Amino acid sequence: MMDIIFSMGLVGFMLSMLGMGLLIAYYGSSKTRNVGVGFLLLGVVLAYYLVEMPNHLVDTSDVVFWNGMLAFIGGITGGVIGIVIFLIAIIKS
Amino acid sequence: MDMSMNFDGELLMDFFVSMLLIGIGVALLATGIFTSYFGAGKSQKIGFALLISGIAILAYFIVLYPLDENTFIEALVSGVSVLSGMIIGMFVILFVLMKVDTVDDLEDLDLEDLEDLDLDEELKKLEEELNQADDNSEDEE
Repeated sequence: MMDIIFSMGLVGFMLSMLGMGLLIAYYGSSKTRNVGVGFLLLGVVLAYYLVEMPNHLVDTSDVVFWNGMLAFIGGITGGVIGIVIFLIAIIKS
Repeated sequence: MDMSMNFDGELLMDFFVSMLLIGIGVALLATGIFTSYFGAGKSQKIGFALLISGIAILAYFIVLYPLDENTFIEALVSGVSVLSGMIIGMFVILFVLMKVDTVDDLEDLDLEDLEDLDLDEELKKLEEELNQADDNSEDEE
């Protein structure tokens, strides 16, 4: 269970670094842009670590890992659907 | 409830559909609480409906237990772990961005000289206006 928590937490951290790094590197200026590129590089390194490096913590070829990813995507999709339902109910009223 | 999709001998759709429904339930619960508390009239009634829907969806998973317990807990732990990782990442980014001095470019501008220049110009204009006014009054006399 702890392996799942750490590995999926690492995936979430990587996603944040990649997403926010892209935004900051594109829209930032001067020093902020450099920081954004740093975040982006950190995200790429983490992604490389997750996919390529053989380790005991994360095994991306394992079905458990992809189950976790599906659970995450399902949770996010569910949250978005819930908010859309709320907006439709409020707007239509 | 069988939501399984066989993939490499493991059940995948159990994770996706269960977390999808949990996500809808949590979103409806949260929006329902806010709308029923802060809303008025019709909005408040809609808020209560959303709240009851959210509670019903979550209660379906808690009370009726449609999935295998281990599968459900594993899916929940995975989803919460990824979200926690993302939140930690966001905090790290915010912390770094706040610590980095992003307004250092303003130091290149000599603001004091600019302000002094503006003040000097204003003073010169005022003096010229006063001199012109004095000249006009002397001419009239």
